[in-house]
Amino acid sequence: MIELYHIWKQYQKPHWAIADVSLEINTGDFCFITGPSGSGKTTLLRIIFREILPTEGQILIDGVNILKIPDHKIYKLRRLMGIVFQDFRLMFHQSVFANVAISLQITGLPDKEIRRRVFNSLRQVNLHHKMWEYPSRLSYGEQQRVAIARAIVNHPKILLADEPTGNLDPELAYEIMTIFKEINDQGATVIIGSHDRELIRHFGHKIFFLQTGKIIGQEVKP
Amino acid sequence: MIFRQLKYLLQSAGHNLWNFRGRNLISVLIISFSFLVIGIFLALSNNLTYLGEQLSNNLAISFFLKQNLPAKEVEEIRQAILDSTLVDNVVYVSQSEALSRFTANFPELKEIVANLDSNPFPPSLEARLKDKSVTLAAITAFIDHIKRLPGVVDVQFNQDWVEKMESLSRIVQAIGFFLGVILILASFFIISNVVRLNVFARKNEIEIQRLVGATNTFIRIPFLVEGFVLGLAGSLLSIFILFLLIKIFPVYIGQTLGAAEQLLALRPLSLEQMIWLVVGGALTGTLGSASSVSKFLRV
Repeated sequence: MIELYHIWKQYQKPHWAIADVSLEINTGDFCFITGPSGSGKTTLLRIIFREILPTEGQILIDGVNILKIPDHKIYKLRRLMGIVFQDFRLMFHQSVFANVAISLQITGLPDKEIRRRVFNSLRQVNLHHKMWEYPSRLSYGEQQRVAIARAIVNHPKILLADEPTGNLDPELAYEIMTIFKEINDQGATVIIGSHDRELIRHFGHKIFFLQTGKIIGQEVKP
Repeated sequence: MIFRQLKYLLQSAGHNLWNFRGRNLISVLIISFSFLVIGIFLALSNNLTYLGEQLSNNLAISFFLKQNLPAKEVEEIRQAILDSTLVDNVVYVSQSEALSRFTANFPELKEIVANLDSNPFPPSLEARLKDKSVTLAAITAFIDHIKRLPGVVDVQFNQDWVEKMESLSRIVQAIGFFLGVILILASFFIISNVVRLNVFARKNEIEIQRLVGATNTFIRIPFLVEGFVLGLAGSLLSIFILFLLIKIFPVYIGQTLGAAEQLLALRPLSLEQMIWLVVGGALTGTLGSASSVSKFLRV
């Protein structure tokens, strides 16, 4: 369970990127954070995986206050998560395989197992035939799928995705969401920042509406 | 699991060294030039130390004796000189031998000497020192000891030259040490900045590793290995260039400098000095890397 209590975030005075956001996301939820550009979706996701710290407020994940985790132990939290960044954050001088495998290399899995899981992940995003290519040779949409494969390869308990379908055509976007739904069906909590109304309408189970850093509405579908 | 990770990290370091070979080659060259300057000073200092030692060792010490000293006493003094561990051999030079040497060396003064009533040259014992490194302090102590023996009236020893050479060697060593410390510090900053540029170029990669849950150690190890390899390669290259310089340098300067060539010659580094340079290179590379990468581990 992810609980956010009165989260405030200010990058620059006097504007608040996030203003008093409190929300609860249950284990196994498939939820969207939506809102117009600049509403604070990315900031909120970055706070949840502790890339940045909130100016005020507390965040509990399964009862643990993640803001109190010392820096050198933050890797434990991150290993529970799979993250799809809006800017993909790929290592451009390494192959697609190496980019996806990094999430598993850090855990010390046997090479054979790493190869198997990386191949499966890439097959899920329909990119297994480009395993040995370099990201710079891939299209924008393909790079995005590499980022998705990396996020799902370690079977995360929490999957965070920031605009994961932003550069994909509708069919592929639908397929990617189906993959996320499969991961969700296996027990993972999925949180997606998106403004794609069509997808949200189709897949959204719990939806938080964000505007100028504030939650202005919440919808839970049965 | 640890071995698997270690294998991966070493592979990763090798991969990065190869992938960024252009940048790494420049780093190696910068490191090697820094260490080359230190090496040249060591080689110059080695040469002056060697010359000083040679000069002390090749000098003969003449102990002048009282005239008409009984043979028994001369023998006692000779024995006392020979008892010293510094002395290789002793030769007795009689008054007439001293005179004939003088006339041979200075034939133009032959007539002046011939006009004298008596032979002015005292008999002497000439001690030649053993051919090994002997300090000036040891020689001085030995001379003082012999000088006090009855029958010995004076000592001739080119102490000035030895002292000058020794102090020159000390000055060069001091300058070498002073510059060495500055150069080592400068090298450290140059190397750590070169490594920092390498690390900075890959900060994106470090950030990604942090965000997917890599530990700081996991991120750090490949960089440390790379820093170690670059430092090691740089210092080894500097030793190789120094070796070439030692071989080529005399050929170029021999003609122009004449006698000064001996002073400016480079003498090869000792094994110990080479080991220090290599260890210094590897250590500087590793520490430079460690200090640089730490700055990017706060994501």
